[in-house]
Amino acid sequence: MEKYLLIALFAPIVGSLFAAIFGDRPKNVITGIVTSALLGISFLASFYLLTYVDETHIVKVELFTWILAGNFTIPFNFIADPVSVIMMVTVTTVSTAVHVYSMGYMANDKGYNRYFSYLSAFVFSMMILVMSNNFLGLFIGWEGVGLCSWLLIGHWYHKHSASWAANEAFIMNRVADLGMLVGLFILFWNIGSLEYDVVFENIGSLDNDTVTLAAIFLFVGAMGKSAQFPLHTWLADAMEGPTPVSALIHAATMVTAGVYLVIRANEIFALVPDVGFFIACLGAFVAMFAASMALVNNDLKRIIAYSTLSQLGYMFVAAGLGAYWIALFHLMTHAFFKSVLFLGAGNVMHAMDDELNIKKMGGLNSSMKYTGLIMILASLALSGIFPFAGFFSKDAILEVAFAEHAYILWAMLWVSAGLTAFYSFRLVMLVFFGKKEHKKFGFNPHETYTFVLLAMTPLAILAIVSGFFGGAFESYVTQILPHYDNHHHISGAAILIAMTLALAIGGIMFAVYKYSNGGFDKKLEQTFIYKLLINQYYIPEAYDRFLVQPFTRASTYAWLNIDNKIVDGTVDLIATTIYKTGDKTRAMQSGNLSKMLRWMVVGLVVLLTLALFYRP
Amino acid sequence: MDSILSMLIFFPAMAAMLGFVIEKENLRTYGIAITAVEFVLSLALWASFDPNIAGYQFVQVVPLISQFGINYHVGIDGISLFLIILSTFMTMISLIGLGDMKSEKNLIVTVLFLEMTMVGVFASLDVILFYLFWELSLVPMLYIIGAWGGPKRIYAAIKFFLYTFAGSLVMLVGILYMAYLYHQATGVWSFSIPAWQELVVAFDVQLWLFAAFFIGFAIKVPMFPFHTWLPYAHGQAPTIGSVILAAVLLKMGTYGFVRFSLPMFPDAAVYFTTPIAILAIIMVIYTAMIAFAQKDMKQVIAYSSVSHMGIIVLGTFALNAEGIVGSIFLMISHGIVSGALFMLVGVIYDRRGTKMIADFGGLAHSMPRYATIFAIMLMASVGLPLTIGFVGEFLALIGFFKVSPFMTFLAGTGIILGAIYMLSMYKDSFFGVITNEKNRILSDVNKRELTALVPLIALVVILGIYPKPVLEPINNSVKLLISNMEKKSQNHETKRHLKNVNTIGEAK
Repeated sequence: MEKYLLIALFAPIVGSLFAAIFGDRPKNVITGIVTSALLGISFLASFYLLTYVDETHIVKVELFTWILAGNFTIPFNFIADPVSVIMMVTVTTVSTAVHVYSMGYMANDKGYNRYFSYLSAFVFSMMILVMSNNFLGLFIGWEGVGLCSWLLIGHWYHKHSASWAANEAFIMNRVADLGMLVGLFILFWNIGSLEYDVVFENIGSLDNDTVTLAAIFLFVGAMGKSAQFPLHTWLADAMEGPTPVSALIHAATMVTAGVYLVIRANEIFALVPDVGFFIACLGAFVAMFAASMALVNNDLKRIIAYSTLSQLGYMFVAAGLGAYWIALFHLMTHAFFKSVLFLGAGNVMHAMDDELNIKKMGGLNSSMKYTGLIMILASLALSGIFPFAGFFSKDAILEVAFAEHAYILWAMLWVSAGLTAFYSFRLVMLVFFGKKEHKKFGFNPHETYTFVLLAMTPLAILAIVSGFFGGAFESYVTQILPHYDNHHHISGAAILIAMTLALAIGGIMFAVYKYSNGGFDKKLEQTFIYKLLINQYYIPEAYDRFLVQPFTRASTYAWLNIDNKIVDGTVDLIATTIYKTGDKTRAMQSGNLSKMLRWMVVGLVVLLTLALFYRP
Repeated sequence: MDSILSMLIFFPAMAAMLGFVIEKENLRTYGIAITAVEFVLSLALWASFDPNIAGYQFVQVVPLISQFGINYHVGIDGISLFLIILSTFMTMISLIGLGDMKSEKNLIVTVLFLEMTMVGVFASLDVILFYLFWELSLVPMLYIIGAWGGPKRIYAAIKFFLYTFAGSLVMLVGILYMAYLYHQATGVWSFSIPAWQELVVAFDVQLWLFAAFFIGFAIKVPMFPFHTWLPYAHGQAPTIGSVILAAVLLKMGTYGFVRFSLPMFPDAAVYFTTPIAILAIIMVIYTAMIAFAQKDMKQVIAYSSVSHMGIIVLGTFALNAEGIVGSIFLMISHGIVSGALFMLVGVIYDRRGTKMIADFGGLAHSMPRYATIFAIMLMASVGLPLTIGFVGEFLALIGFFKVSPFMTFLAGTGIILGAIYMLSMYKDSFFGVITNEKNRILSDVNKRELTALVPLIALVVILGIYPKPVLEPINNSVKLLISNMEKKSQNHETKRHLKNVNTIGEAK
């Protein structure tokens, strides 16, 4: 079994290195084929492990010691247990589909080979992240996906906005990574190891304050990767990257790493329910906050990005309230329907020559039926409509909130569910139905390659059916995750389900009705609320004005005034003082006999006086 | 094998003498060959080094002035071994990558002399010998900056020389006083480092001696606020000078802390931990900010060096095995990475005659390989895991965390600030569209440059994934160092502190 684990882990990096060989050469289809094939192998190996691994059959591999110093030792070791296997299968499924899709999407791109090299390297990092059996290995993957995200957001580096967004993502993640590192430091100095087994075994013996601190700092790390408020701005800007990248990294996999961390470290978070509750509150807030921004945005990809943020909030609510398997379940279903939604958006962009403004589209359903169908299905799943995947997982989260008596959180999630349904179908209506606005701009939309559509199909099917595996999923992952059965907690769960479903359907109907009748009044765009939302609550602007600009000014000031003038000035002052003293006193050594005799007398007097008064 | 260290020290110098009579055209080949032999010698040293012995190996003692106990006394342990290999390796690489220079012959001879002094500093076990090599290392560097530097080279060279020399003189006073103390205590004169490490010094005297040595080392590192010679030196030095300066010469200062300050004055080291840590944190944050404000690529890397040296100092004064091992590893990794970065700046300077960021933009279009190599080194510089830069930085920070979580957090902001200045520099010079037509026709890295850079890339990756062969010998020697410190320390407080920072959980 170890063999399959290693194949699943290392196949992507082999592909990446292979593609890297062709890095600076013109497009070579081989790179796309080889990386996709290797991803497929990785998927098969992961899937095989899924059939094998259970509570009693956990596969562990230890390669060699990585770092050792003093008390600190950490090996490269990997684990395939039910949680990581689920993640492996999810990651490789979406990645394989995205790789194949990219062969079509990036067909005319100059950096084709480079792109596939980065994309496979990303999958490798993500696999390390989910398969590592210790926190530092997870951190390798954590930083690795950050690097690949930087490379891929900035893939079209000639665009200023792309390279800027790449840097923003990297730096903002680094802020969170510092928090995560501090969390690791706390664990190490209290337990003496960063290996999962040892940490989880001994975490109970630590005092509550230490565990609380460790949990908080680990969660700070999670906030960065999963773009939780206030570290969320990078995610929307990351949409500068190629759309398949957004589908894979910024929707299905990397951004869920934070959720995975909380699930993986559930034995830490379970000890400190207060931290968990905070996570849930933040999650519910982000769910609503992000959904509100998605309501008014006109950028095709940004809407979906905000929706991702919002769904991540849902996952954190579940994880924070202790329903880890439900968080993982929503993570998985979300990966399927969100990635296919993004890929559909990619088809639309291709058809529209990279136009992103949904107000310039409309009526595309006539020219791209299949994409339209997939996106409608994915939107239904996202909105949580029965029997699509999102219904099962999202509803479970709402039930958890209710069962935990967190009624305010439940209400926030409930409202967000309505908003989600509305903005999803606002997008669908504006893009696929209604007046063909694009005619004015001279676009000529067309459906994409068949093999691209075929690559999307498995994901679309999973988006439809994966919800039905909830029961099997639960019994599988709860072999190692804590059980959480909310049906015992509440009576009248059916009413809750009905309420949520009704709101979601209501949201859809409202969007369909409004946008089939010409949409909203233009006047609304003058209102304060609209301006607040379209400007993302002015948060990016505030960051720029209150963080970036002061930092730049302070840096320049420190350089020009403090370092050059004060610190270096002092040094030069000492030097010039010595030099000038020498220069002035040089007059004594003029060589003029009478002058020098006079100085000699002075010296003699001084020495004699000294001899007179100084008695050692 | 007994005299292998002496061969290592004097072989480059003797080869340099011989170099004077060799024809100009052949000297580059000659220099590379000599440094390659020297590097292979240092590898042989590693091969015959026994990692299980924590103490000094390959010790050789030849009396010089026996009345005063001054000996030619050399030997290495796990700490100095890799600094020697770093010196020989980086000298070889910098000669391989050397671009066309005027009076190339003299430059290569100078570099060979410099190599002697570098190896000498790390191999010396006699304080006078150490001091000799320490001061001698200034001379070749003075020439390299002063003769082959930029327009303000004389100012920069003199500043470099006088500033570090002044610091060394204070250290010399400390050395003499320490020798006097040793004579008082034992009745014999000795300048042997192992003997001095055994000597118990009264606490209040320790404080003064620590301060005297500290000034010498701190200027060399350079620690804030003694760092201002560095930007001038780097700004004016030719590429080869910057490479060696950043890669090896700065490490002499931090090596001094580990070799002298900690084992000789353990109580003072504990006593001064907080003020030094504050200076180190200022180094990390303040110079990172200044690096961000720079408009010249080379200055960004120069200031980033200071910032990274801050982490090294911090790790050293964690006084636990994690921190000290980390900081020694960071010395090696920073040597490789900063050396590579300076060399990369040299590559573009050779082509365009400018290093100003504003003159570039879109370099990734015209020089894709160069951009890739730069990106790898950038990632190593910001400490991405699985690159060489992560291991040391992580260990140094985790080590100091036991001393003070809050100060570690502040120093940890270095990983954010590092990403900020490196990525914005990279974005401004490599990304975007080509705005200056001169950048469109630039040729990518050539064979000579690749030969120099590829080994560096290989090391960055290999030692990032498998640092154990380097960490293990360092770890053994550092553990011995710490147990000696604990044995020797006189204050109860010191013993408690050392025990505490070296224990998981609460020390009993």
